[in-house]
Amino acid sequence: MSKILVVADHKSGSLKDSTKELLGFASGLGTEVNAVVIGSGVSAAADEAAGQGAATVYVADDASLEVYTTALYTGLVVDAVQQSGATQVWLTSTEIGRDLTPRVAARLDVGALSDVTKLEVNGDDITAYRPCMATKLIQQVRFKHDGVRVLSIRAGSFEVIENAPTSANVVSLFLPEADSRLEALGVEVEESNEISLNEAPIVVSVGRGAGGPDGCESVRPLAQQMGAAFGASRAVCDAGWLPHKHQVGQTGTQVKPNLYIALGISGAIQHLAGMSGSKTIVAVNKDPDAPIFKVADYGIVGDLFKAVPVMQEEVNKLKT
Amino acid sequence: MQIIVPIKQVPDVALNIKVKDGEIVQEGISWVISSWDETALEAALQLTEEAGGEVTVLSIGTAKVQEALRKALALGAHQALHIQCDSSAGWDSYQVAKVLAKTLADQDYNLIITGKQAQDSDAGLTPTMLAEFLGLPQVTNITAFKDVSDASITLHRKGDDGIEISKMTLPGVVTVNDSLAEPRLASMRGIMMAKKKPMETVDIHSLGLAPEVLQSGGLMTEVVQYEKPDERKEGRRFEGDETETVPEVMQNLKKNIGLFA
Repeated sequence: MSKILVVADHKSGSLKDSTKELLGFASGLGTEVNAVVIGSGVSAAADEAAGQGAATVYVADDASLEVYTTALYTGLVVDAVQQSGATQVWLTSTEIGRDLTPRVAARLDVGALSDVTKLEVNGDDITAYRPCMATKLIQQVRFKHDGVRVLSIRAGSFEVIENAPTSANVVSLFLPEADSRLEALGVEVEESNEISLNEAPIVVSVGRGAGGPDGCESVRPLAQQMGAAFGASRAVCDAGWLPHKHQVGQTGTQVKPNLYIALGISGAIQHLAGMSGSKTIVAVNKDPDAPIFKVADYGIVGDLFKAVPVMQEEVNKLKT
Repeated sequence: MQIIVPIKQVPDVALNIKVKDGEIVQEGISWVISSWDETALEAALQLTEEAGGEVTVLSIGTAKVQEALRKALALGAHQALHIQCDSSAGWDSYQVAKVLAKTLADQDYNLIITGKQAQDSDAGLTPTMLAEFLGLPQVTNITAFKDVSDASITLHRKGDDGIEISKMTLPGVVTVNDSLAEPRLASMRGIMMAKKKPMETVDIHSLGLAPEVLQSGGLMTEVVQYEKPDERKEGRRFEGDETETVPEVMQNLKKNIGLFA
C-alpha cells in the first residue's frame, strides 16, 4: 500500500499554497496522505493540513525550529517517514526543500527527484517530469529501486484546492539532537509584508534598464498597485539595487505566474529559465534585439520610464 | 586550508541542445565546466588567497573530463584528481555521491565546495547526498563567507525569507549560489602553469566501491527520455509611442487573460 507523506511549507503560522497543492493532488489519488509540520507555533498550520486531507499530522513545534536547520529537520522528517510508514515523501522546491530533499533521501539510502513540475502516480509507480539544461529540455524520470520515493515539486504544478481547517489528528515528534557543528547566527530578513515571488499570480520585474536603485523604486508602485510580487534580474541584485530576495531566475526564484511583466530586462539565459513558464509574458525594452522578446507574448519596444506611468494609469482604469 | 572542489563537465547550455528519439544529440555539444562549479572554484580560490592552503579539483568521467580539470588548474586550482571510468552517462546523483564519498573518505580537507546544482541535470542533489554519506554538516546556496580559518567559517545562505547566517565547524560541505562571485578568466600564465600542475588519475574500480554501485543496478533513478518543452513563440511586437503601445497591450491583457476583469 502506498502512503504519501507531505512535508509542509508554511509561513507566519499558515500553510503555503505550494503545500495545499501537494495535499490536494495527493488526496485525489485515493492513497493515504499524511503530513509533517515543523516549526515554531505551527498548530494552526497542522489543522490546515488536516483540512486539506492529511489523515495524521506529525508535528514538531519548538522555538528551536523557528529557523531552518538541516540536521533537525532531516531527523524529524525521517522520523515521520518511519512512524507513518510512508512509501513516498513529497517536499516543495523551496530553498528549504532543496536543502532537505537530498539529505532525507540519502539518510533513507535512496535516490530523489527534484524540481518536478508534473507527476503521474500509480501507487508507488511514479513517472515525473522536470526541466533541465536551463529549462531547454524536459526530463521524463522514474525511480528504479524499491524503497521510499523522495520528490521535491515546484510550486504551481497543481491546482490549489482550499478547504476549511479541521482539528488535526496530531502525533508529536521528539526533537532529535542538533548538530553542534553548525551554529545559527541569525537571519537577515529582507523586508516583509511583500507578496512572495513563488506564489504571486502576477510578477512585475525590473532589470538593468532601470539604471539604479532609484529606477527600481520607481517601478515598485506599479507592482503594489497590481497586487504583484516585485522581481528583479540578477544584474539588479548583484549591483545591490534590490536585495537578492527579489531575484528571478535559476539562481533566484523560479516563477510561473499568470502574468509576468519584464521591464528593462534583456533576458539572460538563467533569467529566461526562471520565468519562461509564465502563462503570459509582457516585455518592455529599448533594445529590439533583447532576447526577452523571443519569449514575450507582448513585446513593447520602448522606454520603461515612459511605459510604467502609462501602465499605472491603465491599471487604474481597468480596476474601476 | 585544504579545499576540495568537485566539478562537473556539462554541455554548454547557452548553445542549442538537440533531442532525437528521446536522447540528447551528442554531436555539436560544447563541453564546459558547469557554471555553478566555476563559481565554487572561484570561492575556493578566494578562500585560499585569504587563508592560505590549496584547492584540489575533482571530477569523474572519461579522459575527456581532463579538459575541464586542466581548465580549473589554469584558473588557479593547485592540483586535480581524475576518477576515470568508461562512461558516466546516465548516472544519477545518488551514484555520483557514493563515488565521491568513497573517494574523499580518506582524504584530508577542511571544506568541500561545489555548485548548488549542475547545469545539465539542474538537480542539486549530489552535494548534500555527499554530505550525508560523509556525515558532514552542510550549508547550501551560499552567497558570501566570512571569518575563515582551518577550524571554522561563517556562511551566508540565501534562504526562503532572507539571508541565513551560520558558523560551520569544519570539515563541511558548502554549495554556492552564483551571486557569490564572478568567476575569473584564465590568464596566459595560468594556462602555461596548468600544464605543469599535478593531475592524478585514479581508476574508479580501484576505489573499493561495492560492484553494484557502478552498474546500472546502482541507479536509484533513471531518465526515461528527454523532450523539448513547448517552445514559446514570440508574440506581437509593439513599437512607437509608449502612450499608445502600452494602452493597447493592457487592453489585450484585459481581453485575452481577463486582467482585472
